[in-house]
Amino acid sequence: MTILPADPASALRRVTLPLAALLTWEAAARSGLVSPLVVPSVTRIGQQLWLLASQPESLAEAWYSLARALGGFALAAVVGVALGVLMGRSAAVAAAFGPLFSGTYPIPKIALFPIFIYLFGIGSLPKVLLVFLECLYPIVITTQAGGRAVSRVLVWSAANMGASRARILRSVVVPAIAPYIFAGFRIALPIALIVVIITEMISSADGLGYLAMYALASFKTDRMLAIVVVIALIGVALDRLAVRLRDRLVFWERLDSYYAG
Amino acid sequence: MSAPRHLGLAVLVAIFALWQLATLRAHPDFILSPSEIALHFVEAVWSGELLPHVAASLARSLPGFVVGSLVGVGLGLLAGVARGLDQLLSPVVFLTYPVPKIVFLPIVMLWVGIGDASKIAVIALACFYPCFINAYYGARGTSRIMVWSGLNMGARRTQIFRKVVVPGALPLVFAGLRVSLALSFILLFSTEMINARSGLGFLIRQAESSLRFDLMYVAIVAVAVLGYASDQLLLLVRRRVLAWQDAVSR
Repeated sequence: MTILPADPASALRRVTLPLAALLTWEAAARSGLVSPLVVPSVTRIGQQLWLLASQPESLAEAWYSLARALGGFALAAVVGVALGVLMGRSAAVAAAFGPLFSGTYPIPKIALFPIFIYLFGIGSLPKVLLVFLECLYPIVITTQAGGRAVSRVLVWSAANMGASRARILRSVVVPAIAPYIFAGFRIALPIALIVVIITEMISSADGLGYLAMYALASFKTDRMLAIVVVIALIGVALDRLAVRLRDRLVFWERLDSYYAG
Repeated sequence: MSAPRHLGLAVLVAIFALWQLATLRAHPDFILSPSEIALHFVEAVWSGELLPHVAASLARSLPGFVVGSLVGVGLGLLAGVARGLDQLLSPVVFLTYPVPKIVFLPIVMLWVGIGDASKIAVIALACFYPCFINAYYGARGTSRIMVWSGLNMGARRTQIFRKVVVPGALPLVFAGLRVSLALSFILLFSTEMINARSGLGFLIRQAESSLRFDLMYVAIVAVAVLGYASDQLLLLVRRRVLAWQDAVSR
């Protein structure tokens, strides 16, 4: 996707759908047929958005959500990459943990949230740990696939030229796995945000998920939609950041990965 | 291959054994041993306490999954072969794909009420994305030579779509379906935990707040069994539909 396509007709087609959606929304809001409670006008959502951005309290709520998502993600990245590399490079480790991971992979971990609340309290800890758990799977699975795909010839050549095991790991294996690791990160990052918002909606007294439910409960639809826009922007921004980082660090190969809902 | 398989089994058994042993010592009420959970599970299934909630949950997740993935696969395949549709849809889909779809639950609740329709709509929306994106890449990855050969042998465009594009895209379509299926369960339990009067997510919350920890664990096990069983079912269908592909790669 380029930003400015040369062909004006295709450029027009690219913006058709978002423009049509926006115009329909605004027309419905201004027609007076539907209550502004159900469909508030775009300008009112914009005002609320400005209000959110200019209040330090609401910025703090956004920061809570972001910190939880990134904290759980970072934990999953460290543990997941280590475990994935080990499982990809050692048959014994893969045999020990393989059944555990493939057996629990399709189980929705979100169901454990009530137990996590009892175990770890109602603060940030159960949310961060749930993010960690949900992010761990895609990172481990893609990293392990990368570990398996390392070319034997490269490893043998390095060993033949006298490289130590540690050197081979650092100079051959890790660069070869890096594209896979980033593919896993890109899958896990939106999941981190999903889990944080869900857990904040279910039980929380802070964060954007809580703020959205609170706005809905007090019938401030325009405010709720502004929060939805903020969450969406954070999701897109995190994904762009991951892609940027990948293009910088792993410039030699790109593995595209799409997963999230 | 038998020794490594035993190793994996040993790890699973060791986890359950440690858990069971740990509960022999003094522990808080909210921790149950695996054997107690299994017993309660059988009891709850036998007494019929569990099944209505399972039915209520499936009545929400299945329609959502079916609608979302059908629309996703259909539009994804078409956008993969038709440039006009590609330019119309793809920028929007790829831009909004990292947005957590659960945030639309409050809006949809406002529009269609707090009943099942809002849950089904959000599940369908979440299932749409992985299916669209995988089907899209599957269709775009169609080999040109195959299309040219088909055209050369006099196949019509619809025939090429049915006999060349769709079979070629099937492996990725199934990858998308598998992701969507897992997502449909995550969203099902999230929406049920946020607000519902039936279903497994509701049962977990209700049991939690009335301190019926046995029931809470039973509901969690039921969630796990459902997630696992539906994934296995999908893999089984995949093996049957894609038998030709496995034969080729073997």
